[in-house]
Amino acid sequence: MAKRNTANVDEDLTENFQWRDYARLSHYLRPYAGRLAVVLGTILLGNIATILGPYLIKQAIDETIPHHNMPELWGISGLFLLTLIIAFACLRYRIWAITEIGQNLLRDMRTDIFTHLQELPFSYFDSRPHGKILIRVVNYINTLSDLLSNGLINLISDLISLIVTLIFMLVINWRLTLWSLLLVPVLAVWTYAIQVQQRKAYRDLSNKQSNLNAYIHESIAGIKVTQGFAQEPNAIGTFDAVADENRTSWMHAVKIQFLLWPGVQMISPLTTALIYFVGLQHVGVAVSTGTLIAFLGYINNFWNPVINIGNFYNSLITATAYLERIFETLDEKPEVQDLPGAFALPPIHGDVQFHDVSFKYASDEPEILHHINFHAEPGETIALVGPTGAGKSTIINLLSRFYNVTSGQLLIDGVDINRVTIASLRSQMGVMLQDTFIFSGTIMDNIRYGRLDATEAEVIAAAKVARADDFIKTLKDGYNTVVQERGVSLSAGQRQLIAFARTLLADPKILILDEAAAAIDTHTEQLLQAGLQELLRGRTSFIVAHRLSTIQRADKILVINHGEIVESGNHDSLMAHHGEYFQLYDAQLRMLQAL
Amino acid sequence: MNPYTWVWQYAKKSRAAILFASALILINSAAIIVVPLLGGMIVDQVILQGHIARLTPMLVTMVAVTAARVVVRYAYQILFEQMGQNALYDIRHDLFVKLQSLDFDFFNTVRTGDIMARLTGDTDAIRHMLSWVSYTVIENVLWFAAAIIVMSTISWPLMLALVVVTPVIGVLTIKMSSQAHPVFFEIRQSFARLNAMVEENISGNRVVKAFAREAFEIDKFAKLNEDYKQRNMDSAGISRRYLPPLDFLASLLQVLVLLIGGAFVISGRMTLGDLVTFNGFLWMLNQPMRMSGWLINDIQRFSASTVKIRQMLAAKPAIPTGASAQRPAIHGAVTFDHVSFAYADDPDTKVLEDVSFDVQPGQTLGILGETGSGKSTLMNLIARFYDATGGTVSIDGKDIRDWAVRDLRAQITIVMQDLFLFSDTIGDNISYGNHGAKPTFIREMAQVADANDFIAAMPDGYDTVVGERGVGLSGGQKQRISLTRALVNDPKILILDDTTSALDMETEAAIQQRLRTVTQDKTVFIIATRISSLRHADQIIVLNHGRIIERGTHESLLAQHGAYAAAYDRQLGAVTEEGSEH
Repeated sequence: MAKRNTANVDEDLTENFQWRDYARLSHYLRPYAGRLAVVLGTILLGNIATILGPYLIKQAIDETIPHHNMPELWGISGLFLLTLIIAFACLRYRIWAITEIGQNLLRDMRTDIFTHLQELPFSYFDSRPHGKILIRVVNYINTLSDLLSNGLINLISDLISLIVTLIFMLVINWRLTLWSLLLVPVLAVWTYAIQVQQRKAYRDLSNKQSNLNAYIHESIAGIKVTQGFAQEPNAIGTFDAVADENRTSWMHAVKIQFLLWPGVQMISPLTTALIYFVGLQHVGVAVSTGTLIAFLGYINNFWNPVINIGNFYNSLITATAYLERIFETLDEKPEVQDLPGAFALPPIHGDVQFHDVSFKYASDEPEILHHINFHAEPGETIALVGPTGAGKSTIINLLSRFYNVTSGQLLIDGVDINRVTIASLRSQMGVMLQDTFIFSGTIMDNIRYGRLDATEAEVIAAAKVARADDFIKTLKDGYNTVVQERGVSLSAGQRQLIAFARTLLADPKILILDEAAAAIDTHTEQLLQAGLQELLRGRTSFIVAHRLSTIQRADKILVINHGEIVESGNHDSLMAHHGEYFQLYDAQLRMLQAL
Repeated sequence: MNPYTWVWQYAKKSRAAILFASALILINSAAIIVVPLLGGMIVDQVILQGHIARLTPMLVTMVAVTAARVVVRYAYQILFEQMGQNALYDIRHDLFVKLQSLDFDFFNTVRTGDIMARLTGDTDAIRHMLSWVSYTVIENVLWFAAAIIVMSTISWPLMLALVVVTPVIGVLTIKMSSQAHPVFFEIRQSFARLNAMVEENISGNRVVKAFAREAFEIDKFAKLNEDYKQRNMDSAGISRRYLPPLDFLASLLQVLVLLIGGAFVISGRMTLGDLVTFNGFLWMLNQPMRMSGWLINDIQRFSASTVKIRQMLAAKPAIPTGASAQRPAIHGAVTFDHVSFAYADDPDTKVLEDVSFDVQPGQTLGILGETGSGKSTLMNLIARFYDATGGTVSIDGKDIRDWAVRDLRAQITIVMQDLFLFSDTIGDNISYGNHGAKPTFIREMAQVADANDFIAAMPDGYDTVVGERGVGLSGGQKQRISLTRALVNDPKILILDDTTSALDMETEAAIQQRLRTVTQDKTVFIIATRISSLRHADQIIVLNHGRIIERGTHESLLAQHGAYAAAYDRQLGAVTEEGSEH
């Protein structure tokens, strides 16, 4: 059994974010590279138009207005207006294009993580609260939206204006330029120092957010238990503690994150002061007044993009805490995967053979099944009997290839199931699980989950065989009644009947009923049996059950204990054998007769 | 109440902090003006007029003012963040308290993922509003007001010319506001649908795999994912329509200043120096105009996010879950007096009809009935998860509606069919209803439920962490842990709703026998499909389509040769037919 995580414990991080992960991120940008280039061009055009504005004003104030040249003032104003129109068009395009690229990116990434999730084994879902998986697919990805669209574009345009400004500065006076770069290393150290702390803080915050999501999810899922035990005050207490941790982590993170801004903001006047000082006190550099004023103007142009790049870096660090979780999920290895060269299993007859099958969940865990051997002919009904935890469900799980066998072979119609595609295998099997899960939607859709192209008549026919039709008809909207995942409008027995109809509709060659009828009363079960007998004909069936009435009709009974088949045979031969089955049967018989 | 008044209820706790932070904003805004002024003074006085001695003090002042400004801004940013976080905490707290008080009717109609969206995505938009939008609005309003005052003193006719643009901006922002709201609400709804779909996919992952429906799920997801993207593009559409014109109008002020101001200078109504100063303050006027569109987006996103939160906060559970201070002990007498029940959404279908019985403290009532006969509903009425729509349910002779709900539920425990375990240790799950339970008592009760042995055999014993909904445990193990949890709660009334169905009969019989010993002083209701579980009950009722069709003891019911006897024959017959051959 894998180590499990709970709502109030932070998850371990299995891999740290590496620089190569940025390369991975860029993989998502690649399909939009062309579009990005166009957007970038537009932004540059818009920027040029915007930069022209101050130049035109300067021209008017220095030349046109002092010379009382009214016609030229009209001309300059007209030109100015033209730049505004260009900027207007560029902004219009930019808003749309940037959002589209960003949203496409998020959609792609979300699709990847969701698709990957479908391949992950039960153990992945079983080993952590579901709220912690959910937050990665939906919320975490949303946090990246701004970074990957606006952030990136701004970064590029800022880098360009930074370089252009730097070239201008170098041309005007390279000594002053060097002076004005004096404080850049200080800024770098400042940024780095913050970055280290900020990363830790955001990693912690993402953990706390994940915990909160997990606790909310669990509280909704377990609301009946909480209310049933009148434990609301305790649940609220726990929630408050988790929410408070969230608040504390958030404040800690922003206190660090916001430190970047004062640092960057201070560098600018310090540099300006330095240049004034150097320029005017003639400390090693001789400059003319005109050069000095022009130079100071450029320093502002220089620091603005630097500040922006600092902000980008800041949000990149923040996003890292979420990105590393997203990539971690994407890197999670599916336990069961189609092997290279796997082929689709052709329509089967239902011959099942376990050949010396052993199983353990992981190499360092104890073996759960030892050397299981049996053969089920097409159409046979196999009952699995034995105490709870003996390994019956594990045998069933191996058959559907929810796990791969550790050693030995599992053959269906003589084909090793490891060699075929999982989808082709499972679509020919009908598994009715202990947990009956109902999706929110109509009852019709819930049954149709078994076969998506089934007509209404087929759904109803299946429901009739499963004895679900009787109660469904009494519901307000019949088959179109909407039910909820956690809804209590259906009893456990009714849920099982729906799940049963769902399985029937799938019309599988191999049928697996895992303690499926537990919550169904004997009367309904008996009615069901009639339909069931019909259904079992022509199918290989595996039944895990405790009720002897279900078991004794089986063609073959396997008595499982401690991960081994201790007895096998049909009812009569096992009774004659006077072994474990006989004792089990005898005990039940005596109990019933004592009634 | 509008969203702003509503959110103020949460923000006003931090009134003092907001006031102080606003004062800091004022200081910061004033300081912003100082640095460019100093720059101008250096150029004028030091460079042009050559007062070199003034340079150092001016530079020192410039750096010092910036340092002060930076500290002040950092301080108010943090103050606003803290205010936002405090309000967020309180809103979440209120939502969660409400969540705990809502009854099944709510959970039967609202999807889990939607409720989660309210507590996460929606609340985050509120946080953003309080922590960032609020002070950004204040900053911008301050700049705008300061600009109008300062610029009017320089040249009010020029200022008047600029004000002409303001109504256009006003009209644009109002139109944008009204169009943005529904779009943000749709984004929020789409987010909730996506969240709900993924949540169900994760919770139902076993079914998805069993039916090999991965492709179907991915397809379903792709549609919602695309829809969510489209909704965001709708919002971009509104931004595209309104933001560029706002930006254009803001920039247009520069042209107006240049043209009209220039004309004023040329005609001698204004000096060139004044025009330069006037132009220097222009950013304070047009920056807020540029920002207005973006801020409206944020504000409308906030406003749309409050809708579902407030709906949930306003939801009134039909059954108030109060508790009284002294928590009176109950004896355990349960009376149903002509009780009928129908679900609110389907009042014509009676799930229970005219059910009457009387159970004395310490007695056991057995209930037999087919799937859907109303057994579980009957149990839900005893723990008051629903109120009867006709007749009266009484506990200790007092109408159940006159008891405080949590007083009752603390002493009534249902072991439900639909088992739920929290992702926590087995030990903590077991002591869920009784946190102070002694380990010896827990072990003792686990032995009664036949759970101690398998728990002790686990690598971490009672400290073994189980997955949500108890995944990783078999159905039988879950049932036994769930039974132990109920026993450790030591209730006065114990309701066993087909609790041992996944166990083999031997184990079940052994559990039942031990149960009889430990529940002697408790009123016990047993719902079962196996006669063996019911036979020792003091009274047995048989339900059919919501009505009691038979009642009596095991012996008297057998003698009636009715439904009970038929069920008995079926169960016995299944074994004895075969058994008789041996």
